[in-house]
Amino acid sequence: MDKEKIILIVDDIEINRVILSEIFKKDYHIIEACNGIQALEAVNKNPDISAMLLDLVMPEMNGLEVLRKMNKSGKLKSIPVFLITAESSEEMLLEGYHLGAVDVITKPFMQHFLKHRINNIIELYSHRNELEYVVAKQVKRLNQVSRSMVETLATLIEFRDCESGEHVKRICGLTDILMTKVSEMYPEYRLPQSEIDKIVTSSVLHDVGKISIPDGILNKPGRLTKEEFEVMKQHTVKGCEILQEIPNVMGKGLYDYSYDICRHHHERWDGRGYPDGLVGDEISIWAQVVSIADVYDALTAERVYKKAFDHDTAVKMIYHGECGSFNPKILKAFEASLDTIQKKNWALVE
Amino acid sequence: MALLEELKDLGVDVDGGLNRLNGNEALFVKLLGTFVRTMESYSVSLDFDGSDSEEVASVTEKAHAIKGAAGNLSITPIYEAYTQIVDLLRAGDIEPAKEEIEKILPVQKNIIDCIKANM
Repeated sequence: MDKEKIILIVDDIEINRVILSEIFKKDYHIIEACNGIQALEAVNKNPDISAMLLDLVMPEMNGLEVLRKMNKSGKLKSIPVFLITAESSEEMLLEGYHLGAVDVITKPFMQHFLKHRINNIIELYSHRNELEYVVAKQVKRLNQVSRSMVETLATLIEFRDCESGEHVKRICGLTDILMTKVSEMYPEYRLPQSEIDKIVTSSVLHDVGKISIPDGILNKPGRLTKEEFEVMKQHTVKGCEILQEIPNVMGKGLYDYSYDICRHHHERWDGRGYPDGLVGDEISIWAQVVSIADVYDALTAERVYKKAFDHDTAVKMIYHGECGSFNPKILKAFEASLDTIQKKNWALVE
Repeated sequence: MALLEELKDLGVDVDGGLNRLNGNEALFVKLLGTFVRTMESYSVSLDFDGSDSEEVASVTEKAHAIKGAAGNLSITPIYEAYTQIVDLLRAGDIEPAKEEIEKILPVQKNIIDCIKANM
């Protein structure tokens, strides 16, 4: 048995604590508490407690209250709690079980049974905690792999589209700033951080379809003809076709965001964008955010067909609708983020 | 040890108590001393008001604590009596509970005196 494992014994009667301690001290490190408040303090100080033996009837704070608080704070998921009782009403014990106690120990203690029951549960919990840790580690690793696959794809496009350069990295940064701001400012667009992170990763792939556009059009130094522009517009749809071929590379969440951003980052609020001519909030908020990030970045970067505009000019052009119309709420979030965006000085990167 | 023999004569299951402590006699004797102190702070007397639910709850809690401690040290006469007392109090049978308390008080005094005399 591993003596580094801790058992917390909570009982207001010293005799009971000493007897329990005597039973387990050979195999475990023992911590004692004589009321509920001390018990919770001990749990907070020692998050690695392997098991808690908790008396029900105690002064200050009784056992059920301790259980209730541990249940609320999520501590019961990792610490098995055994209720100790000399007998208590059936309702009390049932409530204890409902609140998450794993078992009931009756006084007088029967040493050998007690040892087996508690050792078994501790072993089970420690096995479960270990498994959860391994699974969490593997999920993290899988996410990292997905992300690097996405980044690899994006890098491929950068090589192909010689003008893009650091474009995708800046899009990521801009998407992060804008998406966070929109989520803060508008409850209807609020998203948890984990989703914002996925959107940011997915934004990298917004132009993946450009890989299918002929060089003569993609890297043409002058203005595109109407026909050429029609081909160029296909990069949104082509991008989705590419993603459809590799749905398992990135997992469901990233795939859905990437697909949507890829297809709709050229849609416009008034319905005059492409490829589907979606109007207003028919366009997902993440696609709308990547649209404005893409436009700002295209304006402030030098391209084969144009010089770079400075930050102020680019912002004015966006507000004057020279790059199509945007959701007024996003424009407000954009305005509120201008300082942060300018501080990043992306416009001067290239 | 004289104390343990005397306690056996008073109905205490000394072997059961020792077994719970892995046969540690010194610890058992030490805990008997602790038991005496516990009995002083959790003493249950007869003069409580059976119509006052708070007072009954407080007596029940004390009797419950004595029951647990006595049970763990295998002080069988006290454990058994208080098991019955707690059951009666919980059921609201105040008078029968008081009769049981009256019966156990001299028995528990003998046990406590015996422990004290050997400390």
